[in-house]
Amino acid sequence: MTMERQRRATRRQTLVGLGASGLTLAGTTMAAAQAKVAPITVVINQSPWFDSFCKTVELYEKETGNKVELDVNPFAGSLEKQRNSVRAKQGQYDLLIMNSGWFAEMYFGGFVEAITDIDPGFKLDPDVFTLGDTVFFDPAKKTMSRGGKLMSVPISPLIPVLYYRGDLYKAAGLTAPETFADLEANARKLHKPPRLYGIVQRGARGPATVSFDFYPYLYGFGGAIFKDQAAGDYKVTLNSEQGRTALDYYIRLAREAGHPKTAAMDQADLIQNMVTGKTAHVMMVIAAWSQMDDPTKSAVVDKVEFAPTPHAPGLTTAPGLGHWLGGVAKNVPDDRKRATVEFLRWYQTKPAQMATAQAGGIPVSAAIYREPIADERKYRWMKPLAQSLPHAISALNFPEAGEVIPILELGLNQAIAGETNSVVALNSMADQIHAVMAKYGYNTGKLPNLT
Amino acid sequence: MGERSLAPPIATTTATGPVGAARRPLHNDLLARWGTFGPALLLMLALGVLPLANLVYTSFHTVTWSDGRATFTPAGFTHYLALVDDPLLRAGLKNTVVFAVCAVGGQMLLGFALALLCSRVSRGRVLYRALFILPILIPGIVIGAIWKLMLNYDFGLVNQAIELVGFEPRNWLGDSATALASVIVVDIWHWTPFCFLLLLAGLESLPQDPYEAARIDGATWWQELRYITLPLMAPALLVTFAFRLVIAFKVFDEIYLLTGGGPVTATEVVSFTLYQRFFTEDRAGYGSAMAVAIIFLCSLLLVMALSVRRRSEGPA
Amino acid sequence: MTRLSHRIARHGALIAVGALVLVPVVWVVTAGFRTQISLLTAEFLFTPVLSNFAEVLFSKTSDFLVNYRNSLIVGLSSTALCLTLATLAAWSLHRLRWPRWVVHVFLGWALIFQMLPPVALAGAWYTMARTVGLENSFLGLILAHTVLNLPMALWLMGVFVREVPIELEEAARIDGASTPVLLRHVVLPLAAPGLAACAILTFVFSWNEFAVALSLTMKQTATVPVAIAKFAQDFEIRYTQMAAAAALSILPALVLLLIGQRYIVRGLTQGAVK
Repeated sequence: MTMERQRRATRRQTLVGLGASGLTLAGTTMAAAQAKVAPITVVINQSPWFDSFCKTVELYEKETGNKVELDVNPFAGSLEKQRNSVRAKQGQYDLLIMNSGWFAEMYFGGFVEAITDIDPGFKLDPDVFTLGDTVFFDPAKKTMSRGGKLMSVPISPLIPVLYYRGDLYKAAGLTAPETFADLEANARKLHKPPRLYGIVQRGARGPATVSFDFYPYLYGFGGAIFKDQAAGDYKVTLNSEQGRTALDYYIRLAREAGHPKTAAMDQADLIQNMVTGKTAHVMMVIAAWSQMDDPTKSAVVDKVEFAPTPHAPGLTTAPGLGHWLGGVAKNVPDDRKRATVEFLRWYQTKPAQMATAQAGGIPVSAAIYREPIADERKYRWMKPLAQSLPHAISALNFPEAGEVIPILELGLNQAIAGETNSVVALNSMADQIHAVMAKYGYNTGKLPNLT
Repeated sequence: MGERSLAPPIATTTATGPVGAARRPLHNDLLARWGTFGPALLLMLALGVLPLANLVYTSFHTVTWSDGRATFTPAGFTHYLALVDDPLLRAGLKNTVVFAVCAVGGQMLLGFALALLCSRVSRGRVLYRALFILPILIPGIVIGAIWKLMLNYDFGLVNQAIELVGFEPRNWLGDSATALASVIVVDIWHWTPFCFLLLLAGLESLPQDPYEAARIDGATWWQELRYITLPLMAPALLVTFAFRLVIAFKVFDEIYLLTGGGPVTATEVVSFTLYQRFFTEDRAGYGSAMAVAIIFLCSLLLVMALSVRRRSEGPA
Repeated sequence: MTRLSHRIARHGALIAVGALVLVPVVWVVTAGFRTQISLLTAEFLFTPVLSNFAEVLFSKTSDFLVNYRNSLIVGLSSTALCLTLATLAAWSLHRLRWPRWVVHVFLGWALIFQMLPPVALAGAWYTMARTVGLENSFLGLILAHTVLNLPMALWLMGVFVREVPIELEEAARIDGASTPVLLRHVVLPLAAPGLAACAILTFVFSWNEFAVALSLTMKQTATVPVAIAKFAQDFEIRYTQMAAAAALSILPALVLLLIGQRYIVRGLTQGAVK
């Protein structure tokens, strides 16, 4: 294909609109008000929630007549493509759908333009979850807190929730666990190996595997990796007493109510165990909800219930964020930036979010979770999710997170595999993380070693 | 074997160099030389020099991005020195060497054995060839995903088959003792077709005369193999081995999906560490130094292997 | 001649190994006809479904047929280009009088280039391609794949080209053959089996290449591996669809192998002199 034909193909609408019966557009009042703007290109990855995003975009195009081109990539390549584009003189992509793993890199590197810089009148809808305040960024202080500029709009608020077997709970007369003690008790009660495990946790070392599973435990017990990221205080507090309690609990749960090979379990294994009915609990990202009730993918249709991840008494649930944010690329022409902001402005409105929910996606606006749709059986995960989202934690808000995660992965993996004990693991990880933060000049410190 | 008719060597040519070149007009000779070598050289220069030069250059700098622009800060040999302290790299080197030697060794042996067998059957060769090629046609990412399922502890095909014959199921990929071996087995399954295909083509190109002479002299198949086939196949064997080794050092897709480098660091290989440091952690300077060091190491191994072979076989 | 028992033993060994090779391949192909839950529980008997293939080929978010076409274009073009350049250059280096150092440096450089991991190359090539506007084109990817496979093709064709007896070339020269005629009628026919094997491998490598294809393509030019990788998502691996896509992707290479090899060899040996 020549360059000319490529350009024309890009401008052509590539998504076929749905039939009128699919979505009722009449209810929205946005149609007349939207201005005609330049076509934009979105870089996004293929995922369970992509289909719903696709349908939402189609709705936008239909309502406003603006063109949106979606460049869909495998997850394994999404970061690479985004990096290539933002580092070039002229970007290929206008709207970057960034994963929690790399939005810090994009913010710090100056690759994303603040939405309020493009359009000072832009207001983030008050109902939209700010997801650990990661949509804000202060370029001077390099922190993410409400005082910073608005850099992005949430696209998909992915956090882990507790999936549990409602049918087994009913038979055993149990209620949804709130504290970690509850979870342990319930898991032990239902633990009947090898047919049924009480719980299956991740323990494998991977790109963001065991550490992601560990966050709800760590933060739920009141621990943390750093003292106060939002204020720029990166003192390493991983090896605190709460940290030790959390890790000891995690390991005990695995040994006494979990899978014998927890140290080798990754995301795919968790899902596999849940859908084949081999486990009573998993703590897993909400995006997998659609697999539970799909008869071609699950043997436990309609048997799975959802709850926020547990916490220590007196504290709140604290799931770790694995979310997606939509930011505007800096190295694209101004008219495309404004067009992108138009899309984001539309995306956060209630009608658009409702369309997302109805298409099987996960809305970012609390308004939807108050609607009757959240009471339907099919969407029984909505209420627990809405409960959890305000407390979601973003563990690593800096670009060198890519160096810290492997430390956590290796350390936790070793502890779960029994190669080290929790004290040695925590001290070692804290040491190494401190070294990394110091190397890059962050305001950091260390706790005295655990004994 | 090869389907061509050979005329007996013509006795009238001299043994020293191509005859007739001196009679050829000079410009024709130049055209022939550059016309055949030029295009490949040009392409390699255009697309090959820049990335490698860029890599070496970056390895002596630290790259940071701010405000949408890159800053290259000179770092001297810092990155190269830091390589020595990298815990993942240390584990990775050992694993990679073990992996490369065992996997490549296994593939060469198996591939050569299959090629030998295949070259001696008269019927069904096309079918066998198609059959043995299959694994390499499958994309690496699929191989990783599928073998991960097959080696799964709870539901995998391998464990199911083992249980049928009465053995205990094992956690192939999750147990440090068996993880690397399992990855090697998958690699052998995946890449033996490479060796098989090339060595079969090599065998089919061998001249027939030495074999006929040997048959007249009454040599056994082992003697045939040792004194005729192996020496004649030496170039093909060597090149296949060299390239298979080089490719094995770059193995990534399979490990990524099978084990992710775990359990702990049991299957951490060098290319995986490189991906981790260079790409995931976005340390371009350090990663480039690692890449250059890996290339250096790989070349060293190859040169060692080459000199061992040359010494053992005497002047070629 | 060979005894019957020898023949049986040979075939037996080949069939046994063949069975071992085949089991995972059959597993992949049949996985494409299963539902995900059936695959995850590894049930032995299952009712086949066509939904995976339908999803891969015809769903709205899938461009598999376009990807297929793209892979064919890139694969065939880069293979043809790569083999042509490699054969010519290999013959040139080994048969024409180039200084020894030229041969060693070039081949050595090619080998070292082969050691570069794709992750390091993809970024650099993207920048280069973007500068000339080729970052979303077939040409860019074809050139990239050609260069990726050139070192191996160069070395391998070096082996096969050197197996052509030099006396035959000299005889043809004496008869007044020009270089093109010499190559076409003497060298190529004799190197044909090696060339065919090399072509198959080059095509397969190009067909299955992922890292560079990801960087240098966008939606309209994406190849099959990029499409297949989309089934390995961040939260689930869509095994059955991946298997269906993989089953489909094996076909061209298999066809090329079964038919192509015979025709490549036959086509090249036609016109062999003497």
